[in-house]
Amino acid sequence: MLKARRRARLLAAALAGALSLSTLAACGDSDDGGSGDGKTLRLWHYEGPDSAMGKAWAEAIKEFEDSHPGVKVEFEEKGFEQIQKTAPQVLNSDQAPDLMEYNKGNATTGQLSRQGLLTDLTEEAEKRGWADAVPPTVATTSRYDENGVMGDGAWYGIPNYAEYTMVYYNKDLFAEHGVEVPTTFAELEEALATFADAGITPFANAGAEYMAQQYLYQLALSQADKAWVDSFQMGGETDFSDAAWTYAAETFADWVDKGYIAENSSGTKAEDAGVSFIQGKHPMLFSGSWWFGRFQAEVQKFDWDTFLWPGSDLTLGSGGNLWVVPEGADNKELAYDFIDITMKKGIQNILGDNGGVPVAADPAAISDPQSQALIKDYTTLADGDGLAYYPDWPANGFYDSMTSETQKLITGSAEPGDVLKSLQSEYDENVLQE
Amino acid sequence: MTAVRKYPVLAALVLGAAFMVLPFVVVLMNAVKSPEEYSSDGPLSMPDGVYLDGLTDFWERVDFGQKLWNSVLISGSVALLAVVLSVLSAYAIGIGRIRGRPYVLAFFVLANMLPQESLVYPIYYLSKEAGLYDTRLSVVIVFTVVQSAFGTYLLSSVLGGFPREVIEAARIDGATKWQVLWRVVVPVSRPTIGVLMVLFFIWTWNEFLLPLVMLVSDDNQTVSVALGVLQGQRDMDATMTNAAALLGVLPAIAFFLIFQRTLTRGIAVGAVK
Repeated sequence: MLKARRRARLLAAALAGALSLSTLAACGDSDDGGSGDGKTLRLWHYEGPDSAMGKAWAEAIKEFEDSHPGVKVEFEEKGFEQIQKTAPQVLNSDQAPDLMEYNKGNATTGQLSRQGLLTDLTEEAEKRGWADAVPPTVATTSRYDENGVMGDGAWYGIPNYAEYTMVYYNKDLFAEHGVEVPTTFAELEEALATFADAGITPFANAGAEYMAQQYLYQLALSQADKAWVDSFQMGGETDFSDAAWTYAAETFADWVDKGYIAENSSGTKAEDAGVSFIQGKHPMLFSGSWWFGRFQAEVQKFDWDTFLWPGSDLTLGSGGNLWVVPEGADNKELAYDFIDITMKKGIQNILGDNGGVPVAADPAAISDPQSQALIKDYTTLADGDGLAYYPDWPANGFYDSMTSETQKLITGSAEPGDVLKSLQSEYDENVLQE
Repeated sequence: MTAVRKYPVLAALVLGAAFMVLPFVVVLMNAVKSPEEYSSDGPLSMPDGVYLDGLTDFWERVDFGQKLWNSVLISGSVALLAVVLSVLSAYAIGIGRIRGRPYVLAFFVLANMLPQESLVYPIYYLSKEAGLYDTRLSVVIVFTVVQSAFGTYLLSSVLGGFPREVIEAARIDGATKWQVLWRVVVPVSRPTIGVLMVLFFIWTWNEFLLPLVMLVSDDNQTVSVALGVLQGQRDMDATMTNAAALLGVLPAIAFFLIFQRTLTRGIAVGAVK
């Protein structure tokens, strides 16, 4: 009797086990939706639903489904890290989506294009007019040669938006301290001195992340020209002891001494710097257009606006992230149609109205004055070929070198000359040659 | 006398507990704040009111119910299968005393210490060849093996000290090896096995890298992978991340509370041995 019950229990357990295994296997077989029937567009991106891109692309999906009756968009929102970490594996399998957002740059889109995992979009870009809509300075990050180095070559990605850096300033604090918006570098230093004298650290900064090195690079850019940028970014050659870099490192160190940049900001994150600007603790923040939408939504205590770095024709920036079509995509035609919709004025204007920097918007159709100014500044930069990319791009692992060397300038643990020397050796060792 | 000795210990424990609980309190506080409130008042201020949009938005945005089910399915299957596998192999090693036992054990420990990063590519290729890429089954198989490596190691040493008299008595009564395992060894070792099962469940629940790589479709993803959706390239939504963290950790806490008696019993049993 006892034995029989035991056996029954054992049988039940075995059955349960087999059952759970079979359900698992069944889940595994679930079809991947990817068949070249022209009926589904599998689309991945990693922008939050409240961001400018998120809103514009949600609208684009609606428009796409309206103009393609019977076609379903299977959209999956991915994490940035997941796409970063797993894109090569996914694209090499039969799970590849038809269209996805991907990070621009040699180490990302460049690498995938070299491995043959991305579709060459040159023909479509010419035919559908994308190549003309994207200004050359922005197109740099869309085109990769056979070694996967950006600059020229075939089109592998289409950017919907651009990004650039600017000074965000707190109008209320400016008025309170009688500071005018600086139009020259001397006026900027005057403004900085006024705030420092009043016991306020004028610039919000984040030494542990990209922000600090962007101050440094911007200072160098104010003394440089396009040829200098091309050599540093793509030529694989720069002299860190030249006038521009020396000026940048010395001015940066000097600003820390004078209290324009907080000495204790060496370990802070970009998020902290952004939040401290929102809280009104610093009158100025120098960073990218990616903050614009968030400040629009979250700054409530004061009025704010932006200006370009005074006395500099060049500033940091580039095309935004790209639409790429995996080589293994099943419905490439649909993917092209979708990209086409996102490049049309309607979607581009939504981007612009929500704090994004559209590549091909109609400035007259943007209603918000702040956004209008944002797009106007972008047009100035794009027309003047004024986007100088980011300081960590030219060499492998240079982001970490830049971060730790600028940290030394902030803490004062190394002289500007020594910092530049270390940067030179890191750069020479790891630079990506064309 | 005992009271004098008790209070400092009690105070130290309360302090320690406060330190342990503090992060959860901060998460809870920020999970019910609106993003505007977080940005203007900072993370340590008390919330003005309860703002639940972060929680509900996140739930809908990632279809959290589905992720929860995936996590339960994967962690539950792994806990069960890994324990069965551990018991079988530990029986051979700990009680059966097979030849070359130390080497086998050393191999398991080594396998257990292997960093997961080094497993990513081999597992990716194997599962693609086997047609299991982007299935939950692949993750279950991988973690069953990974967890049972540790389980085998631990159970073997526990079973190595199993009273031989009991086994011999069973043998004399005519029990087969199979019967000795299921009627004698397993019932006696139940506390340890219970602990293992709980640990496997929680460990698998918290796994991030391999599920991230192996589970591509949204329909197959686990809770910890879903949390990653909120971390953008340059921006983060602090309040929603807190809301998500809260949702992510609640099931593990619930599971722990339900099985905490098993856990403490297992630890005590180990201590006496």
